[in-house]
Amino acid sequence: MVAQTVTGLTIPLPLLVLLVGGILTPLVGLLAENIKAGKLREIWSLLVSVTGLGSVYILYQQLSNAPNNIIIMTLWGQSPPLGGCFEIDMLSIFMAASITFLGLLVVIYSISYMAKESRLTEFYTLMTFMMAGMMGIVLAGDFFTLFVFWELMGLSSYVLVAFLKKTWGPIEAGFKYLIMSATAGAFLLLSMALLYGMVGTLNFAHLSAGLRGVEITPWLIAVFSALIIGFGVKSAIVPLHTWLPDAHPEAPSPISALLSGIVIETGLYAMTRVLFILFEPSFFKVPIAALAIITMTLGNFMALRQNDVKRLLAYSSIAQIGYMLIGISTGLTYGLMGTLLHVLNHSLMKGMAFLAVGSIVHETGTRDLNRLRGVGKAMPYTTLAVVVSFLGLGGVPGTNGFVSKFILFNSAIGSDLAILTIAGVLNSTLSMAYYLRVLMTLLSGEVEEGLHVTEAPILMVGVTVVMALLVIVLGLYPGPFISIASDASSALIEGLSNYVGAVL
Amino acid sequence: MPFLATTGIMLVIGLGCLMVKRDMVRILMGVEILFNAANLAFVALSTQTTGFVDVYAHSMVIMAIVLDGTVIAVGLAMVLNVYKHYKTIDIRKLRRLKW
Repeated sequence: MVAQTVTGLTIPLPLLVLLVGGILTPLVGLLAENIKAGKLREIWSLLVSVTGLGSVYILYQQLSNAPNNIIIMTLWGQSPPLGGCFEIDMLSIFMAASITFLGLLVVIYSISYMAKESRLTEFYTLMTFMMAGMMGIVLAGDFFTLFVFWELMGLSSYVLVAFLKKTWGPIEAGFKYLIMSATAGAFLLLSMALLYGMVGTLNFAHLSAGLRGVEITPWLIAVFSALIIGFGVKSAIVPLHTWLPDAHPEAPSPISALLSGIVIETGLYAMTRVLFILFEPSFFKVPIAALAIITMTLGNFMALRQNDVKRLLAYSSIAQIGYMLIGISTGLTYGLMGTLLHVLNHSLMKGMAFLAVGSIVHETGTRDLNRLRGVGKAMPYTTLAVVVSFLGLGGVPGTNGFVSKFILFNSAIGSDLAILTIAGVLNSTLSMAYYLRVLMTLLSGEVEEGLHVTEAPILMVGVTVVMALLVIVLGLYPGPFISIASDASSALIEGLSNYVGAVL
Repeated sequence: MPFLATTGIMLVIGLGCLMVKRDMVRILMGVEILFNAANLAFVALSTQTTGFVDVYAHSMVIMAIVLDGTVIAVGLAMVLNVYKHYKTIDIRKLRRLKW
C-alpha cells in the first residue's frame, strides 16, 4: 500500500462539514423562527459553505504530503474490499473545490434572491445536502458509496426543482426529472449487480484489477450500456437529455445555477472515473465521440429557436456537455485536462449566466426574450456580467471559455479524431448566433411600457460581478489553473496504477 | 440462472410499464419494478460468484431498497401536487412544457 491510509470511523472533512451542516440547518431554522433572528439561517448556511471550502483546502494540504498523492479513508473500520471506502486523489480535490466554490457563491446570491419566499429552512437544508451528495460522489472509492451519495444528490435536486410549487411548471418539470433519473438509478444499480457478479466486489481498485484489459464479452458491453444510461441521464447526454430543458429553467435561479453549473458535471465526473477505471480508452473512444457530436449539435440547434432566456441557457448547457465529452473520447491526459478545465470554467460561466439572468428575471418578472428589450440600460452591472458570461460561453479569446475549448479541440486532432475538432469549431460558431441575439435584445431598443426595471440588490450584483472578473482573469492568466487541471487529469490516467495499487 | 432470467423479464415489464401506462402512480410502480429487478440480480449473484453467501451484497441491497423507497415517496408527493394543479393524474395531460 503506497498511500496514506486512515482507518477507523472516519469520513473526509469537507463531507463531514456539509453533512453535519445540513442536519443542523433545520434546528437553526427553528431557532431563528422562535427568537425572531431574521437572517440566522442564511448566516448559518454561509458559515457551512465557507467552512466546506476551507476544509477542501485542508484536505488538499494533506493530500500534497501523502505518498503518491492518494489518501484512503475506510468507513466503519473495515478494510477496502469488505467495506465502503473513500479514495481521494487530485481529481477528487479538483472537483470538490469547484463544487464548494460555486456553492459558496450561490449561497451568497440566494440570501437576496430568495428573501421574499417562504419555506427557506427547507431550501437551505436541501441545498446543503445536494452539495454533500456531490462531495460524496467525487470522494468515493467504491461503487456502494458512490451510489448512496448519487441518490442523496438526486433526491435533493428533485425537490429543489419542484420547490416553487405554487405554479404548475416546476411540478411538471420535477416529475419528469424524477422519473427519468430514478429509471437511470435503476440501471446504475443493475450495472453494479453485473460488475459484482463478475469480480465479487464493488471497490474501484479491485474492479480495475479484475476487468481492465480483459477480452470484451457481451456482458461487458451490457455493463457499458447500463453505465452510459445510468450516468448519461444525470449528465444530460443526448438522447437522454429531455428532462434538462424543463427542469433547469423551472427551478429557482440559484438552483438553476447549481444544477447547470456543477450537478451535470458531477454526473460526467462519475462517468469518466468509472469508464477509465473499467475499460481501456480505445474501447469507448468511438461511442463517446459519436455521443459528443450528437450532444453538441442538438444542443446548439435547439437553443437557436428558444424565446425563453433560461431555457436557451439550459440547451446551451447540453451543448457544453458535448464539448466536454470530446476530451473524454480522446483518452489522453491532454484531452482530459481540457475537459476538467472546461468543467471549472463552465461552472463559473454558466453559474454566472444563470445568476445574472436570474437577477433580470427577479427584477422584471419575465423570462420572455421578446419582452426584455433594452433592459440592459437600466441594469448596467448585471448586463455587464451577462455579456462577459455569454462571450465566455461562446469561446471569445480573452475569456476562460476560449482557453479550455482551444485545448479540447486541439486534443481531438492529437487523437486522430479530427472530425470532432471540425464539429466543435462549427458548433462554437453556431452558438455565437444565439448568444449574440440575447445580447442584442438586452442592449438595444427601449424598455417595454409598464416594465419598471431597476438594478438588482447589491449582493446579487456583487456575486455576478466577482464571477465576471474571475472569468476574465482565468482567460488572461490561465497558467496556475492549467497546472492544477493537468495534475488532476494525470492522476486519472498515468496515476491509475497508483490508484489501484494503493488499495490492493 | 433462473434468477437472471427473472431479472430480464422484470426489466422488460418495468420498461413497458413506463412506456404504456398513463396513470402516474402506475409509472412510479414501474420504476419500483426496475429497482427490484436490479436488487434481485444483486442478491442472486451474491450466492453464485464467491461460493458462499456474501453479506456485502445484502447490505448493499438493503441500502438500495431504502433509497428507492425515498425516491418513490418524493414521487408520490409530486403526484399529489400535480393533482392540485391539473385535477388529474393522467401523464398525457402533462404536456404544457414543450421544446
